[in-house]
Amino acid sequence: MITALILLYVVTLVHISITERFRNFASIMSLQGWILFAIALLRLQAIHPAELAFVAVETMVFKAILVPAILTAVIRRTKINRVSTSGTSQFGSLLMSLTALIVSASITYCIADSIVDRVFFGVALYALLSGLSLIVLRTRLFSHMIGFLVIENGVFLFSMAIGVEMPLVINIAILLDILMSVLMLGIFFTRIDHKIHADDADSLTHVKD
Amino acid sequence: MILYLIISSLIAASAFVLRSRRQIYMIGAAFYTVQILLAAGLLTGLYGETSAEIFTFDAAGTLFYLLLTVVSAFAFFHSEAYLKQNDPDQTAVYSALLMLLTTACAGVYFSNNLAVTWILLETTTLCSAGIVYHRRTADALEAAWKYLFVCSTGIAIAYLGILLLCATTSSGSLSYEAVRAAATGGNPLYLKIAFLLILSGYSCKAELFPLYTVGVDANFAAPSPASALISTGLVNAGFLAIYRVYKVLTPTEIFPWVQNVLLLTGVLSLVIGALFLRRTNNYKRFLSYSTVENMGIAAIGLGIGGLGVWAAVFHVACHTLIKSSLFLQMAVVRQIYNGYRINRLGDYIRINRTGAIGLLIGMVVLVAFPPSPLFVSELMILKQIVADERWWIVVAMILLVCIVIYSFCSRLIRLCYQPNQDELHPSKSDRTLSWSALLLLCGAMVVGLWQPEALTDLIDRIVSL
Repeated sequence: MITALILLYVVTLVHISITERFRNFASIMSLQGWILFAIALLRLQAIHPAELAFVAVETMVFKAILVPAILTAVIRRTKINRVSTSGTSQFGSLLMSLTALIVSASITYCIADSIVDRVFFGVALYALLSGLSLIVLRTRLFSHMIGFLVIENGVFLFSMAIGVEMPLVINIAILLDILMSVLMLGIFFTRIDHKIHADDADSLTHVKD
Repeated sequence: MILYLIISSLIAASAFVLRSRRQIYMIGAAFYTVQILLAAGLLTGLYGETSAEIFTFDAAGTLFYLLLTVVSAFAFFHSEAYLKQNDPDQTAVYSALLMLLTTACAGVYFSNNLAVTWILLETTTLCSAGIVYHRRTADALEAAWKYLFVCSTGIAIAYLGILLLCATTSSGSLSYEAVRAAATGGNPLYLKIAFLLILSGYSCKAELFPLYTVGVDANFAAPSPASALISTGLVNAGFLAIYRVYKVLTPTEIFPWVQNVLLLTGVLSLVIGALFLRRTNNYKRFLSYSTVENMGIAAIGLGIGGLGVWAAVFHVACHTLIKSSLFLQMAVVRQIYNGYRINRLGDYIRINRTGAIGLLIGMVVLVAFPPSPLFVSELMILKQIVADERWWIVVAMILLVCIVIYSFCSRLIRLCYQPNQDELHPSKSDRTLSWSALLLLCGAMVVGLWQPEALTDLIDRIVSL
């Protein structure tokens, strides 16, 4: 069951690379949140029930509901609906995403170590590369935010791989999620569009040499 | 340590609600009394103790904490004079964040646990972003956003590396000691990936290649006294976080590879620092690129090993005093000229002789001319590189250091002696700040001429951690 969920998670990562409408980004982030919630419930049954409840509730409320809701609110407020046309093409993004997938799978295959759960590691690495490519290739700040959230979800997924032995690491990953996402989305929502138009990253080029 | 963190955080947080300068000043005095008490405790009986299983008062923490206390106190009291024209509400928030940043950095220094180090480094991001946004301008917002975004991404990447390191070693604990003990049995490829992720992530704090840019932008937008702290205390926190992981991997078979990665990172940082010193037209960015260059030299020291490790730690410690002094001098420059543009400012020797002399001495010390302590460290690193017969690094280092020397001399001599631009109307400044900043530089030069036994002993212990 967990493997099927992780495969679905990989599909969402591939889909993100070809998505152009920001509403779809928000929907995919919500879907990823629900997938992570299900994986947490299945994977972490051995940990203390209170800790499991905390992780599950946090994942559901924060990742599946709150963050997508804030993203939707940002889209409504800024009235920016699509990825900028000056960025890379859909085909280019898909090619980049598939290359990242092949690289992640190859590294995971080469390691061939039973200590670390290879599926979790491979997918986390793919999420990291996908997030980084979204940040590097896309021009809009909103895409950069999505890239960051994709990386965070990847880190959270991998923390669940070793969370059974060390529940502390999952709690720390949650801390990262809540602190940074809320703060960054908050700044994006309340400040950026007031002083800097939240359109292209090109508008953030005054501080340079 | 937990008590220290609680008391310091509470004192710092209380500054958020203050509305008068006198109250902020008093809170600052209380905060630094706590810092001095901890420093006194370290020098008397606390040294070597472990607190709450996640903090150890070891040599590395002690050395960098003592430096942090000095630099942070200077930054705080300079800020009070520097920002006296500002809105008291903004100054209160700024002062609170400065003290919280100091507390978080102290926590990073003493942490003996990978996860705790990571959490506290994340905390420094929040404090620094608030400080960077102090002026509430579009540029400050842009720099704060970039800082928050890139640091958060970097820290998330570093966390992935930490998870991988812990999973590979199966230590069951996140303490450096436990992970180090278990690291020898870890899969080499996993360990390599983990180190790459941690180094890349923490490079945003240590101002090393590849994520050095956010530090430069942050220093540019933050008030100069805060830059003095960000460019030294916070950079040292990043350096120490990387150094502790470096030490964890010492007994493993991938250690030579780790050293090569650090060498490459160091050389690339040095290249970027040296080239951008020529390119930039802003004195604060200029000093920030100098930090990138110096941290690059420290990374080369770690990468070369042997004597180089001792030299790297010594280099970072002395750089703390020198760079903070120069940033504090830059605060006076801004008070006078209301800007930092290199091609516009001049005549500083006539306008503020003390400050100009401070900058010129700082220039000599920062480019590692004797009696600079950096001369000692760079010479030691070069000796080790020559002993290892890595001639390409010798050539690269000498060439790049020559570019740095030329850039520093041409830029700072221009500030002191070139005719000032007509449009600029120099204003009054507090000259005592120039004298005060000079004190830090004098401290660094004393260390350059004579290294006290206590200092060398501390660094010996850091190297043998």
